Amino acid sequence: MRPAGTLAALFLAGIAAGCQLPRAPGGEPLHVSQQAGAGDPARRASLRLVLSGLDADAGGRSAEASSLYERALQVDPTNPYAWLALARQEVFEGDPERGLANLDKAEALLATDDAAAAHLAGIRAAGLRAVGRPAQAEPFLREARARAPEVWADGKLDAAELR
Amino acid sequence: MRSVAIALLIAGFAGGFLAARTVVQLDQVVRERFEGRLFRVPSRVLSAPTILYPGLDWKQIELQGTLQRLGYRDSASAERLALGRYAWAPHEVWIHRRAFEHPTRAEPARVLRLRLAGTVIEELHDADTGRELGAAFLEPELVGAYYGPDHEQRELVRVGDVPPHLIDAILAVEDQRFQSHRGIDFRRIGGALLANLRAGGIREGGSTLTQQLVKNFFLTPERSFQRKLQEAVMALLIEARYEKEAILEAYLNEIYLGQRGSTAIHGVGEAARFFFGKSVRDLALSESALIAAIIKSPNGLSPHADNPERTRKRRDLVLELMREQGRIDDVAFAEAQAEPLRVAKLTPEPREARYFLDALQRQLPEFYGTATLTTEGLQIYSTLDLRLQRAAARALSEELTRFEKGYPKLAPKGESRLEGCLIALRPQTGEVLALVGGRDYAKSQFDRCTQARRPAGSVFKPFVYAAALEPAEDGPTATLAAWVDDTPLEVSTPAGPWRPKNFDRENHGRVPLREALERSYNVATARLAQEVGIPRVADMAERLGIESPLAKVPSLAIGAADITPLELARAYATLANGGIRPHIRTFEDVVDPTAGTLERQPIEFERVLDGGTAYLVTSLLEGVVDRGTASALRTQGLVGPIAGKTGTSNDERDAWFVGYTPELVAVVWVGFDEPRSLGLASSAIALPVWGRFLREATGGRVRGAFLRPPDVEEIEIDPTSGAVALAGCPTRRVEYFLPGTEPATTCPGYGEPWRRDEPGEPNLLERIFDSWLERL
Repeated sequence: MRPAGTLAALFLAGIAAGCQLPRAPGGEPLHVSQQAGAGDPARRASLRLVLSGLDADAGGRSAEASSLYERALQVDPTNPYAWLALARQEVFEGDPERGLANLDKAEALLATDDAAAAHLAGIRAAGLRAVGRPAQAEPFLREARARAPEVWADGKLDAAELR
Repeated sequence: MRSVAIALLIAGFAGGFLAARTVVQLDQVVRERFEGRLFRVPSRVLSAPTILYPGLDWKQIELQGTLQRLGYRDSASAERLALGRYAWAPHEVWIHRRAFEHPTRAEPARVLRLRLAGTVIEELHDADTGRELGAAFLEPELVGAYYGPDHEQRELVRVGDVPPHLIDAILAVEDQRFQSHRGIDFRRIGGALLANLRAGGIREGGSTLTQQLVKNFFLTPERSFQRKLQEAVMALLIEARYEKEAILEAYLNEIYLGQRGSTAIHGVGEAARFFFGKSVRDLALSESALIAAIIKSPNGLSPHADNPERTRKRRDLVLELMREQGRIDDVAFAEAQAEPLRVAKLTPEPREARYFLDALQRQLPEFYGTATLTTEGLQIYSTLDLRLQRAAARALSEELTRFEKGYPKLAPKGESRLEGCLIALRPQTGEVLALVGGRDYAKSQFDRCTQARRPAGSVFKPFVYAAALEPAEDGPTATLAAWVDDTPLEVSTPAGPWRPKNFDRENHGRVPLREALERSYNVATARLAQEVGIPRVADMAERLGIESPLAKVPSLAIGAADITPLELARAYATLANGGIRPHIRTFEDVVDPTAGTLERQPIEFERVLDGGTAYLVTSLLEGVVDRGTASALRTQGLVGPIAGKTGTSNDERDAWFVGYTPELVAVVWVGFDEPRSLGLASSAIALPVWGRFLREATGGRVRGAFLRPPDVEEIEIDPTSGAVALAGCPTRRVEYFLPGTEPATTCPGYGEPWRRDEPGEPNLLERIFDSWLERL
């Protein structure tokens, strides 16, 4: 065996192994405000509208909030945080079926974002419970609690917690 | 003598009886009108609001034009910028945005300062607080209204909302003793008589506001003694029955004040919007005087007419009368008189969205029939993007005219002329952003986008590929590395053998799956559909959003199905949206100004296809644009992620192009209402319309990317064999695979061909690594 080849093989093996390491659950859960400066101009404007919506939601003005989320989608329909905020609002305060559909959209756009995993799981759990599927909800709630116990201990996500 | 007296008595009695009966009848007419619905107010449809934000290209969104259409007026300086004005400097724009209501929130008036860098908004500030803004809204634009047969538009106002100086101006010039007379002003009639005698003809009228109201409400413009008598009696009856405030309010809402195209402007509320682009509450004294001035001759004295000097003199006369009557002081008079005549730019009523208004009405619940929409004064907040709507109308109209000139075969023959339609949706929400149902709504109200079912042709083919790529119980029928046979095919059917032919009448042998769709090969696609099964193809089309009945025959694979452009737009939107099918949405809210939101249409959708398969189809359709039958889009200079498919039906009777970006899906159909051959392929006639629309919509640079789901693997393959390309493989290209569908062989080959992954077996990376170690 040639030493250079062996070294290269070991290097590649290291990369392959690293790629397969499971990510540890936990870590800081997603706050939309952390994303505020990210992305192109349309995404940034859209995020500002989501934040305004979350403020309205936290202030009990849910109709205004959902209108702002829709405006955020007008500017950037692929903004995952707008879908996530809509999902949260529908699951906890509106139509949970619709909330779960919105969550599917958010999940498709956030699939590789580990920080969002706790909220995706937690909102899904709450949505499934709200539509009368508690058994299916249970593993999602466990995942949410394992990833972000401080947020999901009560099984709820407030607008301010998502903000 | 006695008989004469008796006759006189009878005649007197009969006369009295008839007079009394007439008065009772007139009273009934007055009461029915005043105590029922006083006005029919057409419901208005508003666009989605324009949203400004840093980084936005202000030229692209036609900011200046939008401001002008919204009634904002240009100002030379940003100093003390008045409400409803904007000031445009080389590197800065100031907008004193008006307050406006939205169904769920109120936007306060605000001075916006936009710092510009070239065509881009660099910064956006609230000028009063200095606070930087992430985004700011402009009011929604008027898309159109549902008019009754009288084609009147009015914005109802309450007396309390009308500034006192407007009421004073109207009373000063039209009826200065309104508060004291009982419906008829005998002093004024006397004065008018004298003036008319002196002038030798009718120069002045003596009508009070109440009489004018009676004339407009109940009577014809005919000038006769009988009509005048009726008018006087009814005016007296109204005054006897109703408060002055109610009469004044009715007058303020009824009075005719001009014309916007074929639409009559009635009432001071509508006039304030029309002439000054603002709410009646915000009128200045000089503006109020102008409205009062034109009551006498709304069209002749209109500030938009040719003789502004005449209008200004009349306005100054109103101001003079107000001063004489002690309604304003000298200072107010001098200031108002010094004001030049400034009115909002006369913008024609938007007509390009008539098809959309019809489609919206069809989507509204049954309760909102024509009778409701033409009378109730509802505000309908629609999803329409007026900028895209205008771009769509322009693209369709101008391109079709160009084709007619360029190809004699397409020239109009009698009543039959080339038609087309364009519909654009936001795939994530199903919102209709633009809809042009034909070339000229005035000539034909038939909406070819939502009402016409036409043969789909090749735009149907992606549904075959979606069905083939979707994993079934035993895996998918094909992967993107597959090859398909484009050799002659014969399928037995109850109607006899069916032998599909390619557009170029050639057969191409074994071709890569991608090429089969990129080149739109009929035979290869028909064969693939046979492998998949026609019922599965039909099921896929229905899941994606096709609602028209589909005959489960072999030719379905190549588009033997009559469908609407709207259905097609929805089905492709599902692909663009990662397999999530949106519901079509034309409005957000229906609002009754007095009762609040009546109806809300939420964003709704459902998953009908896994995201991976949707992505694979999108990738195929990107190939159609990059290398295939739609590659002309790239030569038109369109940059960024675009997927699409051309489609031409039998005998070239229908030309289609359906395309999408990550944020927009649009369908173009071109053909004749009475089908006849266009003599052109879709790439020559439908594609240019679509390309032009997208260039205007995006500026030529498409934003975003089609997101690859994390479970879709990107692997380099050898395109000739479909094997995984390792170092040393002479040809290679990137291809996408659903989990477990990766190629089982490598190029160059090592040992036994690989099978699909089985649980517990090494994955692709491990196998390549093992193979590499073996070589060492």
